[in-house]
Amino acid sequence: MSPAIPASAKPVIYVRGLRYRYPDGTQALDGVDFQLQTGECVAVFGANGSGKTTFALHLNGLLRGEGSVEVCGTRIDGSTGAGALARVRTRVGVVFQDSDEQLFMPTVLEDVAFGPANLGLSPEAALARAREALEHAGMAGAAAKAPYHLSSGEKRRVALAGVLAMEPEILVLDEPTTSLDPPAQRDLVRLLRRLPQAKLLVTHDAEFAAALASRAVFFERGRIAGEGGVREIIERFHWSRESA
Amino acid sequence: MQHASGSRHVNVERWSRGASALHCIDARAKLGALLVFLTAIATTSERTPGIYAGYFVLILVAITMGRLPIPAMLGRAALVLPFSAVFALVTWWAGDPAGALVLVAKSFLSVLAAITLAASTPWVRLLDALASLHVPRPLLLVIQFLYRYLFVVTDQAARMRLAASSRQGAGNGWTRSFHAAAGAVGVLFARSWMRADGVYRAMLARGFTGHFAALAVTPFHRRDAVFLGVSAALAAAVRVVL
Repeated sequence: MSPAIPASAKPVIYVRGLRYRYPDGTQALDGVDFQLQTGECVAVFGANGSGKTTFALHLNGLLRGEGSVEVCGTRIDGSTGAGALARVRTRVGVVFQDSDEQLFMPTVLEDVAFGPANLGLSPEAALARAREALEHAGMAGAAAKAPYHLSSGEKRRVALAGVLAMEPEILVLDEPTTSLDPPAQRDLVRLLRRLPQAKLLVTHDAEFAAALASRAVFFERGRIAGEGGVREIIERFHWSRESA
Repeated sequence: MQHASGSRHVNVERWSRGASALHCIDARAKLGALLVFLTAIATTSERTPGIYAGYFVLILVAITMGRLPIPAMLGRAALVLPFSAVFALVTWWAGDPAGALVLVAKSFLSVLAAITLAASTPWVRLLDALASLHVPRPLLLVIQFLYRYLFVVTDQAARMRLAASSRQGAGNGWTRSFHAAAGAVGVLFARSWMRADGVYRAMLARGFTGHFAALAVTPFHRRDAVFLGVSAALAAAVRVVL
């Protein structure tokens, strides 16, 4: 479990009254207040369609709704310029639920180097960062492979390496255990424990969250319906297979 | 783990990562040689079989140099035949059987040459080469995304085909299968659209701003210049001498 966060820690993510309505009229977020402190790991629970992923997509400006979202002091709203948005995206690394959506370059190394290259690094520096991130994710041996030749667990690690290569301060992981077998899930927990970044785990997996997060929030109909310790939230909202 | 679709373009992608003498040649040199070769074929007006056999031998030399599987390469190039055959039949019926054969030969040889380039050059190197020839960036972006989404769509189609096959009874006729396939095309389009949206979103999240940054700056060696010169000279020789 992550260490307790000191009360003096500054929030790296500060969200107030966030609302978002999809073009089809669905009110996905309806007044979300949330904070994530430096180095903290928070689990986000909630039923399908409760607004978890929509919320996560607001944290690096992929979606922009009404209300206030601040990432490391930079406010994201409709008027945020491309430069500020690019800075936010270097600070918040999002690992998507479906790794196949994230991996698209011909080789693992080139895919992981895609982000650093977009940061304006030279080819040599981008590739060096990619190699380092792959090493960190335990995937250095797969550098020359094509991403579609990897297993689900390996793809997830490479997707994470692609985000780590951008050296973010915050990691947002959307359903990170989906399609992973138990050994791959254990590997992922071990890997995430080693990472110093603040983390937001959007997940249905109560055991996975309990192994990593110190705090949890529960989404219901676009709002945070409960907040507290991970076990407390699991029991309060009957969020485990054993719950009645 | 094998790619879900096991598609033909996946094989070409795999072949392109070889380490043969042809693979080691700079993509710009190979692209230049291909352009000369295609120009030679397109401007050949003679109808003697020898000249087309000459072009064929040149491509076979390149395929051998690239240690690529000849039957599989010929099979992929043959995919163009149904399309060119339509025009060839029209030419034949118009009373020009020799012209029809020339049309088929030209299209087959052109596609075979292009596949040889694609199977011996990683596609990012190919895009870098096109960029160095000042091909407009929007066109390069379209090619890049087309290639990426080719995998997305074929993967999606393979999953749907698997799901359909698992629910198909033994007694179903071809008309029912046809109706199912026709419906699946619409669903495939919608799902591919959603998947493509997800891919683009993931690219934005990693700082994509509409420009693919090159990850390698490769010098143009003397051997690349020699390859380009010799290839162009051979294509011209076949065009003029045979």
